Amino acid sequence: MLSWSSHEDGTPADVLALASGDGDAGLPHGAALMAFAEAIAGWDDSALAGARARLVAEAGEAFMVDAAAVAANFEMMTRVADGTGAQHAPDAMTRVVGLAAALGMDAPPSTGQA
Amino acid sequence: MTTVVRDDLSDAHRRSLAHVVSPGARLTGEQRRRIAEVAIEAYLSADPTPPWVRPFGDPALDLAYRLGRHAGTITKDWYEQLVTEGMHPVEWVEVVGVVIAALPPVAFARAIGAPLPALPPAVPGPPTGREADELAPARLNFVPVAAPADRMPSVVQALSAVPDDWNNLWQLAEAQYMSDRAMDDPLWNRGTLSRPQMELVAGRLSLIRECFF
Repeated sequence: MLSWSSHEDGTPADVLALASGDGDAGLPHGAALMAFAEAIAGWDDSALAGARARLVAEAGEAFMVDAAAVAANFEMMTRVADGTGAQHAPDAMTRVVGLAAALGMDAPPSTGQA
Repeated sequence: MTTVVRDDLSDAHRRSLAHVVSPGARLTGEQRRRIAEVAIEAYLSADPTPPWVRPFGDPALDLAYRLGRHAGTITKDWYEQLVTEGMHPVEWVEVVGVVIAALPPVAFARAIGAPLPALPPAVPGPPTGREADELAPARLNFVPVAAPADRMPSVVQALSAVPDDWNNLWQLAEAQYMSDRAMDDPLWNRGTLSRPQMELVAGRLSLIRECFF
């Protein structure tokens, strides 16, 4: 989705930056957004406060609120996938496994088959 | 200073928490509320139990805890183990529906630095019995889904066995992320984040959670 939407948007993103969290992935406020997402996924409240303040300073409060909403949505969707053993359709698995390798993961864990 | 939140987003979270404590397909409001409490506790815990520990010795509560904190470790084998212990597959799906209804308002409040929302009191009454008219085993999920199976993506059919929980999932997704109608538009946005910026947040968080969806 990132690759497709950023290409269509005219701001092709560096999808591999997702794995490292380094840089801005080629998007405005990309570094602050990734730091915010990472802090939400962690459990260090002071790190989260810092990442939130940085994003508000860079892009404004409404931007931070909508970024938080997206993160909350994927706290939800990841659990839907993991909790129901969701798998990609067979015709998509080759692409997914390739992406997993590129992002430094062994296999899609959310298939729930391990 | 109070952070301003869109009305549609606040309403979606309020509806979701009301849904959590209402009678579900197979569980009472009181049972659902307890499941939500456990999931929230697991999600926020500074010292969680390891994923292989079952802190409650109760299938529904152990699932809530593991899904709240260690979702990426849940396997088909563990699902089958809990079903063998007597947990009905539709009850498993309902527990997933409760957990994913309870956590987003909490995760969002924590993210923006707002007070965490409290769960409303449980709504009394028996389970509703509202389930899909016909269930089918799925190839794309280890849980049963509404028949016919595998005609839609796995994350879409995932909760289809319990229509009320399925509806709540998608009302949340529309307010937090986008509607299904907007999904096909790579330029869609709310005037704040561009679509690629939204996908960057989604991708980074999903990768940290070791989930490809």
